Amino acid sequence: MKNLKKILVLVLALVMMISVVTACGGDKKAEKETEKATEKETEKATEKETEKATEKETEKATEKETEKATEKETEKATEKETEAAPAGEMTGQINVYTRDAASGTREGFEKVVGFEDQLTDKANEVASNGEMATQVGSDVQGIGYVSLTTDFAANNLHPANYEGVEPSIETVIDGSYLLSRPFCYTTRASGDYESDEKEQLVKAFIAFMTESTEGKEAVLSAGGIVDVDDSTPWEELKADHPIVDQDNSTITIKTGGSTSVEKTLTAALEAFQPLAGNFEKVVEQTGSSDGWKRTLGGDKDGPNRADIGFASRNFKDEEPTEDAISAAKYCDDAIVVVIEKNNPLTNFTQQNLFDIFTGAVTNWEDIAK
Amino acid sequence: MTTEQQNKSKTLIRERSAKRRSLYKSIDRVMQFIFRLCGLIAALMIILIVFFVAARGIQVFLPGYENPVSLGEFLTGMRWRSDQGVYGVLFIVINTIVTAFFAGLIAFPLSVLSALMIVKIAPKRLSNALTTVVELLAAIPSVVYGVFASGAITGIVEKIAGWFNYTTFGGNSMLAVILLLAIMIYPTITSMAVVAIRAVPESHELGSLALGASRTQTNFKVVLSSAKSGIFAGLILGLGRAFGEATAVSMVAGNAFIGPTWNPFDLTRTLTTTMLSGLHETVGVDYDVRFSVGIVLMIIILVSNLAINALRKKMESGD
Repeated sequence: MKNLKKILVLVLALVMMISVVTACGGDKKAEKETEKATEKETEKATEKETEKATEKETEKATEKETEKATEKETEKATEKETEAAPAGEMTGQINVYTRDAASGTREGFEKVVGFEDQLTDKANEVASNGEMATQVGSDVQGIGYVSLTTDFAANNLHPANYEGVEPSIETVIDGSYLLSRPFCYTTRASGDYESDEKEQLVKAFIAFMTESTEGKEAVLSAGGIVDVDDSTPWEELKADHPIVDQDNSTITIKTGGSTSVEKTLTAALEAFQPLAGNFEKVVEQTGSSDGWKRTLGGDKDGPNRADIGFASRNFKDEEPTEDAISAAKYCDDAIVVVIEKNNPLTNFTQQNLFDIFTGAVTNWEDIAK
Repeated sequence: MTTEQQNKSKTLIRERSAKRRSLYKSIDRVMQFIFRLCGLIAALMIILIVFFVAARGIQVFLPGYENPVSLGEFLTGMRWRSDQGVYGVLFIVINTIVTAFFAGLIAFPLSVLSALMIVKIAPKRLSNALTTVVELLAAIPSVVYGVFASGAITGIVEKIAGWFNYTTFGGNSMLAVILLLAIMIYPTITSMAVVAIRAVPESHELGSLALGASRTQTNFKVVLSSAKSGIFAGLILGLGRAFGEATAVSMVAGNAFIGPTWNPFDLTRTLTTTMLSGLHETVGVDYDVRFSVGIVLMIIILVSNLAINALRKKMESGD
C-alpha cells in the first residue's frame, strides 16, 4: 500500500510538472500570436487614424481660421479628434463588469460617471479588484474598472483614457484626470485612547503621513497619489511631536477600515516605525464602512477597536467625524477603465461610459464616436 | 494457608473490588456529565446560530427598522439591486435550486457507480488507489476549486457557448457553476456511498449469487438497494455542499442582477454568493438583508433534506 501511495504521489507530481511545462509553452505561443496581432492592428489603426485625423484637421482648421480660431480652440479640437479614435474591428456584445455594491471603487466610479443607481441589469458582478482585473483580462468583449495601482500588463489589460486624458499620477495630481477617489482617515476622539502616549503617537503619525516629505514619498511609492513637492521634511515637523524620541516598542497602533488603502497605509507605517521609537503596528483592513465604525462608531469599544480608521471614499453624513482629533483625505486613488488588451479602443468619454454602464449601448460598434 | 487466612484475603479482595466498582461508577458519572455537556453545547450552538441569524434577518422586515424591506417583495422579487434598494430573492432561490439540482443530477450517478466500482468491482490495489483519489478530491479547499473553475471550466464553457453562437461573460455562467458544483460534490457523495456499500453484509450478496443472479444483477438489485439509506445520506450531504458553497461559486457565477436564469450560458446568482459578495464593505439594510437570505437558505436546505428523506422512505416501502 505504501508503495502504491508513493507511486500515486509521483504520478501527481509528474502531471503537475507536465502541466507547468505545457502552460509555459502555451503562454509563449499565445504571446507571440497576440504580439503579431496587436502589431498588425496598431499599424492599421494608426494608418486610419492619421488619414481621418489629417482630413478632419484640414477641414476644421480651414473653418476655424475663418472664425479667428484661438490657440486654445485648436488644442481642444485635436483633443476631440483623439477621442474619436476609430473603434477598429471591435464588434459584438459589450460585457459590462461591475464591483459589488459595497465597493468603494464602484461608488467612486458611479459618482464620477454619474450613473448612480442606474447600472444595467445585464452586468457581471465581481467581488474584488483582483477578480475584476483577471476576468476582464480574459474577456475580449469585457469592460470594467480597477484602481490605478493594478498591474495592467500582467492581467492582459489595456488602461483606457478618460475624456482624452491618460490615467497617471501626474494627471491625477494636476486635476486633469477626473476618474479619481479620495483615501480618507479618521482618528478616535481625543482622550479616547488607552494612553496619552498612544494619542501623541497617533497624532505624530498623522502629521508624518499627511505633511512630511518622507511620509508622502512612502504613500506615493505604494501607489497613492500625493503631491510630494508640497511637503515639509520630517526633521522640521518632528519638533512638535516629542513622543517620537522615546522608546515606543510597547505601543501598538491598530488600523481598520478600507482594504483599498492597505498598501499606502502599510508603506507609511513602515517608514514611520524606525523614526518613532519602533512602535508595533497591526493593519487590520476589512472595508470602508468599518473605518468609522471601529474608531468612532458602534464597534469603537469592541474587540475590533482601531486607533485609526480608513475609508476609500469621503466619510458619509451618517459617519460624523467631528469628535475625531483629525479626519481628512491623505491621498487620491485613480479609477481606470480597463478593456482587454486586444480591444482596439483607447478612450472613453463620460457619455460613452454612461451609455455602456447604464445599458443604453450594448454593442461595441454602437459606441458614440 | 489456613481457612481463616483464606477468608481474610477473600474479604480483602471483595472490599477492593467494591471500592473499584464505586470508583468506576463515579468515573462513569463524570463521563456521563461530560458527554451531556458536549451534547448540550452542540445543541446550544445550533439554537444560537438559528436564533442570531433569524433575529438579525427578520428585523429588516419590521416596521421599526430604518428603510424596511417589504417581506412580500423580498419573497417574490425577481431583481436584486442592492444599489437601488431592491431586494428580491425568489429568482435567486430558483437559481440556487436549479444549479444544485443539475449538479446533483450529474454527480449522483457518477458517484454511486464509482463507489460500486471501488468496493465491488475493482481489484484491491486499484480500489485503494481510487479511494485515495476520492479522499484527495474531498480534501481540496473550495477556493482551489474556484481558481480551477475560473481558469479551466470557464474556458471550456466559452468554447461550448461558441458552438451554439452564444456570447458569455468570459465563460462565467450557470453551466460553469453546475460543472464546478458537480465536481465538488462528487467526492462527498462517493465517499459516503463507499461506506454504505461496504456495510452491506456479504451474506446478502452470497445469497443472491447462490440463487443464480449474475454479479451485475446482485450489485444493482441487492447491494445498491441495501445501501440505499447510506447513499441518500451522501446525496443529502452533497446537495448541502452544493447549496452552501460560496467562495468557489462566486468566482464563476457572475452574480446576475435579474433572473431566474434558464439559459445555461447566462450569468447566475446563488443565495451564498449574494451573502458573500461585498460583505465586508457594507452597512445597514444591505448588510442585514444577508441574514434574511441566510434564513431562506437554511429553510431550503431543510426542505430539500426532508424531501430526499421522504423520497427514500417511499422507495423503501415501494420495494
